[in-house]
Amino acid sequence: MFATRALLGRSVWKGPNIVPLPLPRTLPPSPKHSPIRTQKRAATILPNFVGLRFAVHNGKTYQEIQITEEMVGRKLGEYVATRKRFTYKQSKNK
Amino acid sequence: MVFILGVNFPERNLLKASNTSALTSQHDPRKSLESFFGIGNHTSSRLLARFNIHPTCRVGELANKQVLDMTAVLSDMKIENDLRREVVNDIKRLKETGTYRGRRHALGLPVRGQRTRTQIKTPVKLNRMERRM
Repeated sequence: MFATRALLGRSVWKGPNIVPLPLPRTLPPSPKHSPIRTQKRAATILPNFVGLRFAVHNGKTYQEIQITEEMVGRKLGEYVATRKRFTYKQSKNK
Repeated sequence: MVFILGVNFPERNLLKASNTSALTSQHDPRKSLESFFGIGNHTSSRLLARFNIHPTCRVGELANKQVLDMTAVLSDMKIENDLRREVVNDIKRLKETGTYRGRRHALGLPVRGQRTRTQIKTPVKLNRMERRM
């Protein structure tokens, strides 16, 4: 039996993917503190990220997400979609 | 008729499936233990080993104490509706926190990166907000 699927993706000896991010020095961060811009979508969300705002790259722009307690242990990229929903656009000149 | 965890099983039913085809063709081949949602081959084998029951035992051959023990253990386990609810809640949590996986469940598309150009009958059938089980 598998312990949990989430743990299976990565070797245990590596530990979580801890990426050096410019976290605010004071907690809770001051309201002026702008969201942390990053392209590190594979960074594991650590318990000390809770309550922070991140602007995660989706391949084109940076999308803001607010970290909640339930997100701990998952990756930043899971919460920012990289694909657009398909919509049919009618073209005028055929 | 023997009651195990509130479910009535005919006495001639096998507690667990046997591999011998002669037996299964003569008798009702249904697997009594594995008819519970959440108990498969592995768990039923473990249960039989725990109470020293042989694999081709029939429900009628169980001693009264064994039936009671089995019911006690099964009632402690997370099976049937408790398990179904847990699975549904896990999916709901994925959706509510806004993960990619949750979105794929809601759209009825494959969740783990499979191709979607062809052959997505199973996720279309099963993946819903309230997953069908």
